[in-house]
Amino acid sequence: MKRIAIVGMPNTGKSTFFNRLTGSSSRVGNWPGVTVELLGAHTILGGEAVEVVDLPGIYDLHGFSDDEQVVRSFLENNAVDQVVMILNASQLDHQLPLALQIHKLGMQPVLLVNMIDEADQLGIRIDAESLSASLNCPVVLISARNGTGMTAATDVLVENMQSVTPVQPSELKAHLHADDEIVSHAELLVSQHVSSPSQLVRRMTERIDRVLLHPVLGLPLFFLAMFLVFQTVYTLGAPLQEAVAWLLELFRGWALDPLANVLPASVFGFLVNGLYDGVGTVASFVPVIILFFFLMAIVEDSGYLARAAYLTDALMARLGLDGRGFVMLLMGFGCNVPALMGTRVMRSRSLRLLSMLVIPFSLCSARLQVFIFITTALFTPKQAPYILFFMYLASFAAAFLTALVFGRRLKSDEPFVLELPPYRKPVLFQVLMRGWHEISHFLRRASTFIITGVILVWWLTHYPEGSTPGGAGTYASMMGDWMKPVLDPIGISSIMSVVLLIGFVAKEIVIGAIVAMTGLEGAALNSYMTTQMDGIQAISFMLFILLYTPCLSTLATQLGESRSWKFTGVSLAWSLGLAWVVSFCFYQGARALGY
Amino acid sequence: MHMEQPQKTLSNLSRLATGETACITGIHAPDDIRLRLQAMGLRTGRVARVIRRTRLGPMQIRVGSVDLIMRRRDAARVTITASQ
Repeated sequence: MKRIAIVGMPNTGKSTFFNRLTGSSSRVGNWPGVTVELLGAHTILGGEAVEVVDLPGIYDLHGFSDDEQVVRSFLENNAVDQVVMILNASQLDHQLPLALQIHKLGMQPVLLVNMIDEADQLGIRIDAESLSASLNCPVVLISARNGTGMTAATDVLVENMQSVTPVQPSELKAHLHADDEIVSHAELLVSQHVSSPSQLVRRMTERIDRVLLHPVLGLPLFFLAMFLVFQTVYTLGAPLQEAVAWLLELFRGWALDPLANVLPASVFGFLVNGLYDGVGTVASFVPVIILFFFLMAIVEDSGYLARAAYLTDALMARLGLDGRGFVMLLMGFGCNVPALMGTRVMRSRSLRLLSMLVIPFSLCSARLQVFIFITTALFTPKQAPYILFFMYLASFAAAFLTALVFGRRLKSDEPFVLELPPYRKPVLFQVLMRGWHEISHFLRRASTFIITGVILVWWLTHYPEGSTPGGAGTYASMMGDWMKPVLDPIGISSIMSVVLLIGFVAKEIVIGAIVAMTGLEGAALNSYMTTQMDGIQAISFMLFILLYTPCLSTLATQLGESRSWKFTGVSLAWSLGLAWVVSFCFYQGARALGY
Repeated sequence: MHMEQPQKTLSNLSRLATGETACITGIHAPDDIRLRLQAMGLRTGRVARVIRRTRLGPMQIRVGSVDLIMRRRDAARVTITASQ
């Protein structure tokens, strides 16, 4: 099978093109370097099956960042039949050097000049034909966002692939060298084939930036925007969650409850009260998570994240991090794992390690589920959003404290230079794809360890035979008793401590575990929760959940990315310790004050 | 490293006033950092303009068609001369 590799700088719309070409989904962002994992897809081009690989966005092939190493080692180790390079039409002066580098390596790329609609608006005219003749390789003007030129691009691609001779990886190695003359060649080409106004005016972007990057208003506006995002998630998400829960209950009443007459009581209890209700309750939170990812995708695709990096860099510099680290924290609000992998754009190891140490404190969507569940059960609808916002503040505070504590030992001289893309309207298709991505991600997780976790908890809280389900004498209550000396001082009941133990694997299990343990759901479950904890205990419990460790996947990613057991161990020990101390201080402090 | 040190070098990019433009004359940094800055568009002979800056943090620079944000510390590595 022939292999096509897609290369290009960050922010050129590579992923959008990839999605168009292959019809599969990947994430796009206006944040340089967001595509961290290699995405591959199989598709049919010109009646032939081909493999398409989307390589990370890079600035040049000689770079020293992990992403650039990834691309180089991919090209040096995998035979590629056809290189497709995506360029941003309004930045050809900046981007052609990379095209020439690739051309010089003998790879005969097809150049797709993307975002031609945007360049048009800016008054840039590109003579594709003459540029193609000078470069001696095909050039097609496209807009991957709205599909302009995609047919022409595919045709050219198919035609070119017939004649192209793949470069041997071994030859490539020998060819990668100095690029000074490449730059002057690129400048010559641009002056000959591209005419652009002497000053590019992005009126809209400049007008928006005058407000959003305002020296005084910028930061408050940023926090306001984040607050609105979370407020929206809560206000729209809570009714959605109830609706799904209602549907699941309806299905249960209609299809599952009649089984009680057929199945033995213990089997029915396990299958329906344990497994179905457990997994179902977790599933009812999926709409909230999808909503959250929709909103994050909009913020990300709009180009605002790079602005967030600009606004927060001064603060982050004091903590030994940089603006990118802050953006990774924001990405971590979705899921910590991709945020950890996003640190690959950092060249300095100590900066990377420090960033990877703080990211696990960012309140990911799995923890958000637990917090929405608990705040809904224990607080009034008026209080709940504020409690939730307080948890986000605590998440930042823990991250900053960690950076302060470890920053002195992990110093770096990494340059902080970042591209500021123009604002772009998020594409509905991409945002929807992103939502679908999350659903399938959830289903994959659900089918494996959420089910396993729920089954395990059900067993722990119903055995040995003869004990009161969820009560005294079960394995769970024995485990709870062992942990009592540690968790009693922070106000966590022994039955909830079993939940914490299981939640170590993944936070999605927490809610399912509580359901499986109690055999309750809906309003009955909420009132059960009020017997387990009061408001102060609930906050202490949530603080502990927030800090003690995100999940096993995060730990595994930390280990994989740092390649250091010591680092991963320190990170785990620090977060466990911090969780206990913070919960202890909060709980005992609040009680001492008479709450 | 760039060997030739142009005599007309006046200053570095971090000192350029907001709204002013200047011509880049060189980058004085270790090889890996220099390559990175060059790849992002900061090349000798290009004209750079300071769009805005924060009081303590980074500044926004426009080089050709690209807008960059960079710390003062890194901008100080880029030498400039007044452009006509």
